[in-house]
Amino acid sequence: MNNIYLTLVLATLATTGRVWLTIGLSIVTGWFLGYIAVKNRGFENVYISFIEVFESVPVISFFPVVLIFFIYRIGGYLGIEMAVDFLVFTAVVWNIWVGIYQAYKTIPENFLEVVENYRLGFLRKFTTLYIPYSMPRIAANLIPSFADAFFYITVSEVFSIGTSAYHVFGIGAILAELVSEGRYNLVLIGLGILAFDTTLTTFFLRRFATYTVERYGIDTEIKTYKRGKPRTRYNLRLTNTLTTVKKIASAFLPPKKYYDILAEEKERNYHLREIGYALAFLVVGIVSYGVFTTVKSISAHEWFSLLANTPSMLLGLAVDYARVAIIAIISFVIAIFVGYLLAAHSLAEKIVIPIIQAIAAFPAPAYFPLLFASTYVIVRGIFDPLTNEFYVLLLGFISTFYYVFYSFWLGVKNLPSEYWELMENLNLTFWQKLRKIILPATFPYIVAGISSTINSAWGGLAIGEYWPDIYNGYTLQVRTGYMKDIAVYTDSGNIAFAAWSSFLFGIIVVIYSILFTRKLMDLARKRYIAEEGIYAA
Amino acid sequence: MGDYELIAIVGPSGIGKSTLLRILGGFIKPIRGEVRLLGKKIIKPTPKIALIHQAIVTFPWMSALENVKLGLKYRNLPKEEEDKIARKMLEIVGLGGFEDLSPKQMSGGMRQRVAIARALAADPLVLLMDEPFSHLDELTAEGIRQEVYSMIFNKDTTLRGAVLVSHNLDEVVELADRIYVINGSPATVVGEIKVELERPRRSKDPRFQEYLDQLYKLLTPVKKPVVSGDKNE
Repeated sequence: MNNIYLTLVLATLATTGRVWLTIGLSIVTGWFLGYIAVKNRGFENVYISFIEVFESVPVISFFPVVLIFFIYRIGGYLGIEMAVDFLVFTAVVWNIWVGIYQAYKTIPENFLEVVENYRLGFLRKFTTLYIPYSMPRIAANLIPSFADAFFYITVSEVFSIGTSAYHVFGIGAILAELVSEGRYNLVLIGLGILAFDTTLTTFFLRRFATYTVERYGIDTEIKTYKRGKPRTRYNLRLTNTLTTVKKIASAFLPPKKYYDILAEEKERNYHLREIGYALAFLVVGIVSYGVFTTVKSISAHEWFSLLANTPSMLLGLAVDYARVAIIAIISFVIAIFVGYLLAAHSLAEKIVIPIIQAIAAFPAPAYFPLLFASTYVIVRGIFDPLTNEFYVLLLGFISTFYYVFYSFWLGVKNLPSEYWELMENLNLTFWQKLRKIILPATFPYIVAGISSTINSAWGGLAIGEYWPDIYNGYTLQVRTGYMKDIAVYTDSGNIAFAAWSSFLFGIIVVIYSILFTRKLMDLARKRYIAEEGIYAA
Repeated sequence: MGDYELIAIVGPSGIGKSTLLRILGGFIKPIRGEVRLLGKKIIKPTPKIALIHQAIVTFPWMSALENVKLGLKYRNLPKEEEDKIARKMLEIVGLGGFEDLSPKQMSGGMRQRVAIARALAADPLVLLMDEPFSHLDELTAEGIRQEVYSMIFNKDTTLRGAVLVSHNLDEVVELADRIYVINGSPATVVGEIKVELERPRRSKDPRFQEYLDQLYKLLTPVKKPVVSGDKNE
């Protein structure tokens, strides 16, 4: 009996270890790639476009890649382990890479000039300026990244393709096994251990975030944080993309005797540029090769079948978009009221925000079967034919609400203090404040939050629309849904259809992001930056 | 405060001038004492005491006219009435014809005029100004300084008094009817000067310089008493 408790603890630690491994890998790679990006325009363009595209693609779209590459090519326990880690990596890496890149882009010019002035070498520059400067942003990113990673890892640790089931040792896999065996007491204990782990980690991350701001935040950084813009991919190009060297060069014509020194600098940067271009070509090459080999491996007959089925697949996608819209609207409305109330009442905020963060870090897929079991009878009594629909939307909501809430709350918190004073001074009513000032001022944050919500909602739908044996042999499934189709194709071993659906989905999500989300963010950037309303020379 | 009086509060940086101004406006509750406006105790901010910030505050998603109209919202006026008053206030501050411009299309000086128009539109009795010209270049600041008195005290505004916080001594002598100097730790009022110069005031006027000298004297760092354990000293 003791063994099972020990197993639960060890499994939780194994899962947590995987999360930290992927987050750690994202940070270290982000430091180096971000540095190359800010030093090399060619690589920067590829890097940012690459992140923009892949950040919009929900984790589920990477699943066929995982199957083809890790499970079939590498295989064995190592292949499965790498597949799980890769899935989690794709959930956290983009946010962390963007955060680091943005931190590098916003390093004050004075600091850059000092390190250039004293001619510090690459490592010295890196360790004394770039890494410390990125720390507060990394720390702030860790809480949502950690929640995101846990959300996906608990369901990624066990999956099946056709008749083959794959699993790695971890709390997600153990809980799934216990649920299928009907050992609910142990499930509860497992969830308790997991809850303790995620709450403790969230507490630690909050402390770490405070510490990094105190330790590494410079005055202007704190100011930027307070009045900061949302850390989304959309404001990447808000900052000037010229390097300090170029700015100086365009402003001053150097005296002749300095030409030699500048030539030497140019020589040094030249190597970095070569590395940047090489990396950019490598990335483009790998992606092109992947597309080419995949297309080549599918027969003409299969292509015909895929294309013939595409219209009915797209109908499922339309239904799923409707589900995502419902989840986003409900999340948004609740976020506005709760976010405003908390931002306006500091005591409530001190208590409620850590609780919300701890709940968000507790992965919904792990406890959802129990929630389902304990509420099913009541919910069926109310929603009868729409019971499954309700649960799917609920899973989508609880796995995603946090992002729009957190984003909006951050936006309200970052309102310039002068705006608050003015709202009080002019005796504006709650609705006037909301309509005239708070919603416009937080618009960039809202767009960023809704964009994250929509991406996470897809994750919730991917899990909820087809969940075999969620509880006591019951399969939670919807009648029509694109995510359900992908899950069914995968489950029945129909890899070509699963891959084609995922590919189509990825393309549509990216187009949606370019046509809709980015347009909204451009509008937000043009008109709704609250900080631009404060004129301080 | 007397009718149509502009009072200035001066003191070294960090002494609490802006805090005092926020206490007067009801933004901060005083630990001791109270603020009264026409006999009524001020316990929270009110449009009757309008604050002009040091950092110029406008809303970039609204036009100049809409920014000014914000000051009228609490009065629930018909839209035409709102529009009429807001346009008038913009005219008073010299921005007639610029109603549709966004703050982002305006210079710092124009933005501060919009902020003043918005404050005046709220029908205030008292205007609180927290170093209102400190973020403007000297030429622009001088231009507004010369006009501000007639902007705020005229037949079209309801204003009965104004309080200006500044550490620019030329500015306070140029604008104020009465100056309170605060200094020391804890901060106290160390001097009150009534400025009896006719307007417009010229800084080259010898009497202007005399007022400046008085202010400099009062603002000289206050020496703390030396406490020594040596009885022979």
